[in-house]
Amino acid sequence: MRLEFAALCCLVPGTIGCTAVAAAEGTAIDSGAISGLGARNIGAAAMSGRIAALAGFADRSGKLTLFVGAASGGVWKSTDGATTFKPVFDEQPVQSIGAIAVDPTHHDNVWVGTGETWTRNSVSIGNGIYKSTDAGETWTFSGLPESERISRILVDPRASDTVYACVPGKLWSDSADRGLYRTADGGKTWQLVLKGGNLSTGCGDVAMQPGSPDVLIASLWDFRRRGWTYRSGGESPKAPSGSGLYRSTDGGASWTELTTASGKGLPPKPYGRIAVRFAPSEPKTTYAFIESTDSGLLVSHDGGDSWERGDKSQWMVWRPFYFANLIVDPRDAKRVFKTDGNLILSEDGGKSFAVVGGFNGMHGDLHDLWIDPNNSQHVFAGDDGGLWISYDGGNRWWKSDNLPIAQFYHVSVDDRDPYRVYGGLQDNSSWVGDSAYPGGITSSRWENLFGGDGFWMFEDRSDSDYVYAEYQGGFIGRVNRHTHETRDIQPRLGAQELKRYKKLRFNWNTPIALSPHDPSTIYIGAQFLFRSHDHGQTWERISPDLTSNDPQKQKQEESGGVTVDNSVAEMHTTIFSISESPLTAGLIWVGTDDGNLQLTRDGGGHWENVVGNVRGLPKNSWVNWVQAGQYAPGTAYAAFDRHTFGDMTPYVYVTKDYGRTWTALLDPKDGKGVRGYAHVIKEDPIDPQLLYLGTELGLSISVDGGAHWAQYRGGHLPTVAVRDLAVQPRDSDLVIATHGRGIWIVDDITPLRKLTPELASQDAAFVSARPAQQRIEAQGGWANGAAAFVGDNPKDGAVVTYYQRTRHLFGKLKIEVLDASGAVIDELPASTRRGLNRVVWTMHRSPPHVPPAVQVAFAGTQGPRVPPGTYGIRMVRGDKTYDTQLTVGLDRRVKWTVADRKAQYDAAMKVYTLFNDESALFARISGLRTQVAEAGKGRAEKDALHKKLADFDGKLDELRRRIVATKEGGAITGEERLREHTDQLYGALLSWEGPPSAYQIDNIAAMRAELSDIDAGFAALTARELPALNSLLQKEGLKTLTVPTPGADEQPGAGAHGGGGDIAGGRSELQNLRLWN
Amino acid sequence: MRHLAAFLLMLAASGALAYTADELAAKNAAAKGSPDELAALKSVRLSGKLRVNRGTLELRYVALIRRPGSIRYEVQLQGLTRVQAFDGEQAWQINPFQGRKDPERLSADDAKGLSENAADFTGVLVDYKAKGYTLDYLGTEDIDGTQAHKLRVTRPNGDVTYVYLDPDYFLEIRAVNRRIEHGVPNETVVDYGDYEKVAGVYVPFAVESGPKGSSERVSVQVEKAEANVAAESRLFQFPAAPASAAK
Repeated sequence: MRLEFAALCCLVPGTIGCTAVAAAEGTAIDSGAISGLGARNIGAAAMSGRIAALAGFADRSGKLTLFVGAASGGVWKSTDGATTFKPVFDEQPVQSIGAIAVDPTHHDNVWVGTGETWTRNSVSIGNGIYKSTDAGETWTFSGLPESERISRILVDPRASDTVYACVPGKLWSDSADRGLYRTADGGKTWQLVLKGGNLSTGCGDVAMQPGSPDVLIASLWDFRRRGWTYRSGGESPKAPSGSGLYRSTDGGASWTELTTASGKGLPPKPYGRIAVRFAPSEPKTTYAFIESTDSGLLVSHDGGDSWERGDKSQWMVWRPFYFANLIVDPRDAKRVFKTDGNLILSEDGGKSFAVVGGFNGMHGDLHDLWIDPNNSQHVFAGDDGGLWISYDGGNRWWKSDNLPIAQFYHVSVDDRDPYRVYGGLQDNSSWVGDSAYPGGITSSRWENLFGGDGFWMFEDRSDSDYVYAEYQGGFIGRVNRHTHETRDIQPRLGAQELKRYKKLRFNWNTPIALSPHDPSTIYIGAQFLFRSHDHGQTWERISPDLTSNDPQKQKQEESGGVTVDNSVAEMHTTIFSISESPLTAGLIWVGTDDGNLQLTRDGGGHWENVVGNVRGLPKNSWVNWVQAGQYAPGTAYAAFDRHTFGDMTPYVYVTKDYGRTWTALLDPKDGKGVRGYAHVIKEDPIDPQLLYLGTELGLSISVDGGAHWAQYRGGHLPTVAVRDLAVQPRDSDLVIATHGRGIWIVDDITPLRKLTPELASQDAAFVSARPAQQRIEAQGGWANGAAAFVGDNPKDGAVVTYYQRTRHLFGKLKIEVLDASGAVIDELPASTRRGLNRVVWTMHRSPPHVPPAVQVAFAGTQGPRVPPGTYGIRMVRGDKTYDTQLTVGLDRRVKWTVADRKAQYDAAMKVYTLFNDESALFARISGLRTQVAEAGKGRAEKDALHKKLADFDGKLDELRRRIVATKEGGAITGEERLREHTDQLYGALLSWEGPPSAYQIDNIAAMRAELSDIDAGFAALTARELPALNSLLQKEGLKTLTVPTPGADEQPGAGAHGGGGDIAGGRSELQNLRLWN
Repeated sequence: MRHLAAFLLMLAASGALAYTADELAAKNAAAKGSPDELAALKSVRLSGKLRVNRGTLELRYVALIRRPGSIRYEVQLQGLTRVQAFDGEQAWQINPFQGRKDPERLSADDAKGLSENAADFTGVLVDYKAKGYTLDYLGTEDIDGTQAHKLRVTRPNGDVTYVYLDPDYFLEIRAVNRRIEHGVPNETVVDYGDYEKVAGVYVPFAVESGPKGSSERVSVQVEKAEANVAAESRLFQFPAAPASAAK
């Protein structure tokens, strides 16, 4: 049966996580086998990322539900007006969002069109339309699989199954699957009701007249991007374009083009991108932004029959392909927003606009707005920097700090402990963040160090006070991380070179590389490769033009179509990837965006273009990545990208002979289940067979040198673009740079190095991992509120890793920890999943026996952390056991020695024993009092024996009250007795694992003396008074009292196992603990 | 194999699902035990340990459940017993760890989870119609490497539980409870494992739960299960006097 489901999974197009190393079910090194090594997302939400679409609704109480469509990070849902969000689209096979629509009549019906339509150079791809009938909790694929991108969805308020999908269609290639589609059966079937006149024209926008759902105005949009140019409209401002404006009055069955004749007042064609909206409160009031040679806003008061020219200011007409959107106040037809670099607002029906947001006070580059239908003052805006919230009608903005949808291009790490993560992002500069921090990784643990769009970023390994960062077009800077002093070190041409070469061509995403042989050496690529040995003080050009230098691909000044748009994003015939061999200095690989793969083996003295040796690779394929091999100097990996030609499949090759021959690891003939065009391929630094591959649709891993691949979904890593990867060599952490969901870390990928078919064929086995450290148990952070993203830290403890061929379902599965004597000192709940599993041992021994009192002694809920050493690990799995050993060491950062640590442990154990002895005495006192109560049962208060018993019991209780606090009621009593003092001392000793102070040692002795004093008091009392009491009891024929034997019942207050340094966290968790699920 | 692939391709193309919701509910119930065994299980006491605070704090744990809808949980630490219970009408607790031992009434929304845990102690799908639930089958979804059957259970109050069944044995491996509490949805992920038979009925002996989207988890390891134990009503009812521990 399981075989059938695996097969079914792999037969459904776009299904994720289906690839596998071995075909035989049960031994497959597939997604399920590897994803048990969970990943953690460290954000950041500080800079967040581009938002493409917003939608929402207000319930009857006025509470808002908001859907955020990230450009490349899925759909996020908030049911509390944007205080908290959860990702609701992560299980779907694409994460780029173009449009979201909530059924105006039935709010549980939500539609998502995948594929962003703000078609910048780095835009991702979609695969159709999805429908939810439970307000976004679950989704069903509902067609249009070839649409690639969807700009608008409208639902007929009369009939929920009638839906319009505006499909601009494929960006990079011709396609007939574009235009305005309509379904009348809830997405089962779609009809193309408005199509363009050529294969590059799709639907740009569509609007439905309020109250007249059969009246539609739609725009067609002719557009095309290539690696070296872009057009919105025709090939030039006046060239023919398929764009136009159309109206239907019969629900899309027939259409009339609105021209200068039929739509009086419209500008003459050709058009580019058009946005159109009706005013919800005045159905005939219609706004249209039209990109033309005279771009501007058009306003109609008769539903489109005639138009008046409105505003045409800078922020109305700026970059229409990226900003063509209008949002009309739902309650005021004269109030209309236009998104752009700045956000502009008209309050006079489009005649004039004012800047109300954008580059001041918010990030800028806005794409969508959503306005509370009940309160026009409450506005949500999405831009290149995330989500913004206004409570004053869009004038002032709160920044949302809870959407980790950051779009990283690249990532690097340093060797600090914990290491830091560096990277640049789409329109969000270059940042450095902590990989771990006490209390979690908040936005404040990330720091911006540069500007513009960010790309490659590295610590200067020769001077860690400095980093290298860049913004688009190769503007590299060397930045002091403390003062933020920045020096522009971009190479420039001298007089002769300027005359000869005209300009340096730096890619939008200009490659920077550090030499693995010399920390002072850095490379940067234009059309030439440059090298500096002195932090950019001087550069030497070490190559000729390594590109095709094709003049047909150097016409960026003509780019844009109707509106010129030459932002460096289309700069072409440039170097895009650089990699120097870590084995041979001066052996450097260079890949270019126009398809050259160049090699020098003498530091740039001679270059050879070896791309012609890559059999089967189409010409001019963008070299997204070339990586020199770490194990053999002739080895290199190359990832080619043809998505700019409309081919979304991965092309990955390896050479082992300096590029003379290449072997396809992935190509269209055998994609091995890997989805999406390839961005990055890297070798593991330890295991030459272990490869990591980032594509536009996720991360894939091969444990056999690329013969087979498995998609990694650990930690629910979505199918988001993985643009770069770094392995932190000391910690063996895999750091994943996603373009849409920030940075993710797979802590310790050592088990992947051990994952062989032989291991995978075993029922169960332990898998070795990096040595465990006893990391400092530190407190940090503060109350952040619910509206803040906090990235997870690594697991706090020693990680035990094991493999299971199948999920464990029946019978006991547990992990036992054994000390040197073989005694079980802890028993851990096990993870039951198929494949690799991880369980964390806190390394604390069981807690002491604490005498019972009115409150928990919180320090006493934990045992001391065990001393460093080697411990046995035993897995009990049904009737089978598996054994291994785990070595535990000190935190690398601590200043104390193992001997110091042992002294701390011994001191803590003295207090631990003190707790136990207090419990033992307490138990003896309690035991005797129980006998006294039994003896006096039923006797009158005036009875002489009763009085004597009561008097004796009172003296016993005095002793009890010297051991524990006894005031009931739950207030802050401040009552401290021996137990409470012991707990304070114990907590102090556990809080720091270095050598204990002399006064702490003295305090142990003082406590011990106090206990001895109480013990002596107990002995004296019983010696003095028991004989007489027992005589009286004997006379009455009653059972005599006996002093309980020490140790007979000393565990009345024993907790079960406890541990961990976070006493405050434990207190909080205990107090708020819900025992139900 | 070729026929199988063709069949599955046809299924995929048509969007047809391999099972109906009712078939899966029936398979789940059958996997748990026979109808007689399920019906005969009137009460159960599960004893073991509970770990909280990232696994750093362990407490003794007892769950006592009695048909038709009474439940009592206890955890013990340093001689103090925390109680959370529900008698079918009123949910309450004793929360003594910081010194207060008086019973406290819990809100109606807190009672939801207790009520559900009591009603569903042999599984949410067992007798789902009799419990007034509606059921939808949503296809399969990857749950930690297992293509699990996903079902949506909608309760009469509108709260939803997503149940994921192992494709081979049809027992629950995960549930996601989505309850509206104090006007907002709260979601809890619950993972089940270590199934063992109690009076002929499979009961998960390992349960781990926590808020969806968070790494916080509470785990329960059952060490002893007793079927059809005596369970006096007073153990579930709001105590007139300080509550005593479940025996």
